[in-house]
Amino acid sequence: MSTRHSKAAELFLKDKDLAAWHDETLWMVRAKRDNQSKQLPEWEHLRDMACAIKMYSNSHLDQLLLEFEKNALANGAHVYWAKDAEEYCSIVYNILHGHNVRHFIKSKSMLAEECGLNEFLEEKGIEVVESDLGERILQLMHKKPSHIVMPAIHIKKEEIGELFVKEMNTEPGNNDQTYLTHAARKNLRHKFIEAEAAMTGANFAVASTGECVVCTNEGNADMGTSQPKLQITAFGMEKIVPDRGSLGVFTRLLARSGTGQAITTYTSHYRKPRPGGELHIIIVDNGRSRILADKEHVKTLNCLRCGACMNTCPVYRRSGGYSYTYFIPGPIGINLGMLKAPLHYYDNVSACSLCHSCQNVCPAKVDLADQIYRWRQKLEDLGVASTSKKAMSGGMKFLMERPGLFGFALKNAPIANSLPRWMMYNDLNDWGKEHEMPKFARESFNEMWKKKKV
Amino acid sequence: MSSREDILESIRRNTRMRYEKPDYAQLEEEAVKYPDLLARFKEVMPQMGGRAVVLQKGEDVNKVIKGLYPNAVRIAATMKEVRCGEGMQPVTCATFHPDDVRCSGDLDGTDLAIIQGRVGVCENGAVWIQQDVEQRAVYFIAEALVILLDRHNLVSNMHEAYRQIDTGEYGYGVFISGPSKTADIEQALVLGAHGARDVTVILV
Ligand code: SF4
Repeated sequence: MSTRHSKAAELFLKDKDLAAWHDETLWMVRAKRDNQSKQLPEWEHLRDMACAIKMYSNSHLDQLLLEFEKNALANGAHVYWAKDAEEYCSIVYNILHGHNVRHFIKSKSMLAEECGLNEFLEEKGIEVVESDLGERILQLMHKKPSHIVMPAIHIKKEEIGELFVKEMNTEPGNNDQTYLTHAARKNLRHKFIEAEAAMTGANFAVASTGECVVCTNEGNADMGTSQPKLQITAFGMEKIVPDRGSLGVFTRLLARSGTGQAITTYTSHYRKPRPGGELHIIIVDNGRSRILADKEHVKTLNCLRCGACMNTCPVYRRSGGYSYTYFIPGPIGINLGMLKAPLHYYDNVSACSLCHSCQNVCPAKVDLADQIYRWRQKLEDLGVASTSKKAMSGGMKFLMERPGLFGFALKNAPIANSLPRWMMYNDLNDWGKEHEMPKFARESFNEMWKKKKV
Repeated sequence: MSSREDILESIRRNTRMRYEKPDYAQLEEEAVKYPDLLARFKEVMPQMGGRAVVLQKGEDVNKVIKGLYPNAVRIAATMKEVRCGEGMQPVTCATFHPDDVRCSGDLDGTDLAIIQGRVGVCENGAVWIQQDVEQRAVYFIAEALVILLDRHNLVSNMHEAYRQIDTGEYGYGVFISGPSKTADIEQALVLGAHGARDVTVILV
């Protein structure tokens, strides 16, 4: 194997303990998600509804965005439209510059990451402080997130302890998580209070009310936006939902799927600027409208950025976020990277065993594995045919070489029995070419052995 | 052409099939419902890291709060009195009103904030707070939070909650479910990331 993914994965696996911990911890989060979903008999209906709402919203973006804009303006907000990353960054900069902002506090936003906002602002002399604890740790370490919901999942507490000694004057050698978290709480309190502007992303933008909804556990979005009176909120346009009724659906799914909680601690609804304050809302395209025309991949726009597909992915858990070349890792990142620049990111399509676990947990029913499969078929057209074979067998080989992991993939293998035949037998599937694919037994030999059935 | 027009034009050009808006009615109908809302709410709060206390008949709400937070010195309250079943009770244990401060940063160091909840959700312990003071920072910056909630305002699930809530005059509202938390350091759960470290909902 020699895709960039597999090479980077080897690096990650060198630290055996961390790799094993990473694998087990994310699997535990997945188990928590299962526990939550099983408490709701209507779970599958919720997922279908989330998918249907997104299919409706994303096919009516023109109407819904205009409705949102009209309502947001009536609420007293300023509304901007940004075609691409550069325009988005410039709009943010101009707002900050126009208000003489020197201290700027941000809550986690994948859009800001996508558009390189922090680098852009810092080059122009504006200090950006990340307020989500994980993001703050990474910012101080000059590192990038390796997971979209648990950004610092790959960092050990000893490293954080050392960092905080330098940055926050903590006791050397005290790496207790509670101690370190509370040190950061104290340190960031001052940053919140001295900031002249705060920024958030949005999990949902509600057309019928013109409000933006942000979900956090830490309360950092609200600490930020309740101190300085200047608030900026930016969202990718697929975050639009029609009404509050749809929030009822999404807020029930998001945290249950992503972290296995019934709901995040804070679900904040920003509708108007604060008294004497300003609210600036930026609607961002950056390639999204183009995806609308791609019927094989349009469902990526359903994504809620919950992270469930990463937590469940046997390849992600065992290879870590940094082994992917796109800034969003895991199944959704593989697909978003291909939509962004296929020739740049095609290595990632090998990081999949087609176990389909991702698309079975996705709350918005993004057809993640089917899409990865389609990309693999297209590699030849992209002029990277020699890679196609590697890509096809890459994820499977990755698991085969790691028996513990293969055990998991096998448990999920019966899903493959229901795959359409064309997916199993085609020019790219080397295994299907040479022999009739075996039917995966409902229970593998290993499982039967363990249960003493054989 | 402006970016706005460009983007809208691009959306229209690229939109293919238009899907219909789904009807939520059947899902809302079959969504989880709890026969005993009060019992369920009491049970779910600890799962979210907080606690729920039911005010008993004749009990003084101030005594209950003082009993729970004996060391709180700087206590903010957003209300002067609270409706408890048969009548009103004055909230006397607070030391100041959040809008008395000069700026939001001055609320730092508040030991306890007593605030008004509007709707409590039994599936997840979330309580809807509609902004009712100018300094909404008080909901987040205080070390501990007491949310007073009318026990008749409990609903089973988020669908029901969204039919009842609003953002009011200030144009802001938030569901709060338990204390602020993080697991960003090696996935160990720590309460009190940025917001309240401790949350009690008192059902009046
Ligand atoms: S694709 Fe689905 S599972 Fe993955 S992050 Fe998006 S919503 Fe979550």
